[in-house]
Amino acid sequence: MPSDAAPPPEPDDRALAYAPRAAVLCGLAGWLPPRVVTNDELSTYLDTSDEWIATRTGICQRHFADPGQATSDLAVEAGRRALESAGTESVDAVVVATTTPDRSCPATAPLVAHRLGLTGVAAFDVSAVCTGFVYGLATAAGLITAGVAERVLLIGADTYTTIIDPLDRANAIIFGDGAGAVVLRAGDADEPGAIGHFDLGSDGAEEEMIMVAAGGSRQRSRRDEQPSHADRHFSMEGRAVFRHAITRMTGSVRASLAAAEWKVDDVDHLVPHQANQRILRAVADDLGLPRERCVSNAESVGNTGAASIPLALAGAAAGNVIEPGDRVLLTAFGGGLTWGSCALRWPDRTPRTPTAPAAAAPVTAQEGGPLAP
Amino acid sequence: MSATYDRLIALLTKLHEAPPGDTTPDATYAELDVDSLTLVEIVMHVERELGVTIEDSELHPDLSLGATAKLIDERLAG
Repeated sequence: MPSDAAPPPEPDDRALAYAPRAAVLCGLAGWLPPRVVTNDELSTYLDTSDEWIATRTGICQRHFADPGQATSDLAVEAGRRALESAGTESVDAVVVATTTPDRSCPATAPLVAHRLGLTGVAAFDVSAVCTGFVYGLATAAGLITAGVAERVLLIGADTYTTIIDPLDRANAIIFGDGAGAVVLRAGDADEPGAIGHFDLGSDGAEEEMIMVAAGGSRQRSRRDEQPSHADRHFSMEGRAVFRHAITRMTGSVRASLAAAEWKVDDVDHLVPHQANQRILRAVADDLGLPRERCVSNAESVGNTGAASIPLALAGAAAGNVIEPGDRVLLTAFGGGLTWGSCALRWPDRTPRTPTAPAAAAPVTAQEGGPLAP
Repeated sequence: MSATYDRLIALLTKLHEAPPGDTTPDATYAELDVDSLTLVEIVMHVERELGVTIEDSELHPDLSLGATAKLIDERLAG
């Protein structure tokens, strides 16, 4: 019997003992513009009622950006709070997920980075409509796992009131403005907060289902034609979107669960894009997940596009609905079509509450909003 | 009525609150106050549970429950 019975492990075996590099959630915050718009206020200029909106969408109020307020203004507020929550002032990249950039050129992220005192870092936008935050997470995680960045600030921010016709009853009641942000740092795949098991997808054949027809090269290359009022605003085929949202989010959740080797019942919290309560309820039912495990804030903020998942996460974490160690599954569906999901265990971190500044009281219709002259 | 009708009523009861006495074969979705999104949910469940394909537009508010069961049975018969 040889004296050196236990040879040192091969280098490859040692490498396997370490978890792979991953992006780990370490900061979270939300921000909503102070102006609250109730269903009753909408009913003063739309042929609808609080009861009609509440029963069909589950939405009771939403926040509107003030006149002159741009997506970057909301993004900076959420981004600053997320950096504070992470206890850091510096990151290597700023990614903004938005459908309503300040301008069609350039991207919004460089300005946001500059205003956060981060001039010089990598900064760009991700455009995946209401799936933007999940696509942004995959993008930010990719920057980290590829070794391009150690820390990334990802902000989902949208001002849908700037693209929706305020007199379009079908859409004006659903959408609100807001921003939510996370800070991701390099870490190990097996530690709490590690984000992974992504499922992302798209179907451009259905691009017309959720669309702003004009404003891009398709319309602007027809140099002599002026776009119609309808083409300059957001449009959505409600029934078809409802069906596709349920089908795609349910399928995507199942794909992420399979990748994570979780069963449906292992999920402590499903945090879907907050399209409306009806879709969330149907997704939970189709998955066989108890409805109370589905995190929702649509009632108080409506559909805030790319901001909806981080706003829902920040609210749930601040309210101790989500606790350290909980298994959390994020899923989203949006224009494109696009959809995506990912999974994480909740880290030991106290995020800030997603609120407007304490001093800002709700203001009335005559003080501003999309209908103000 | 048919077994399909009974399954339709069971499904409708799960997705929509209506007084049991109101769900008669002649009652239409509009009369039962079933909204457009619930109609889509009914289509999705019928497709999944019965293996037939129905266009969202085929289940319109003025269709009766009896006519819906007939439509499904016709699809099932091919």
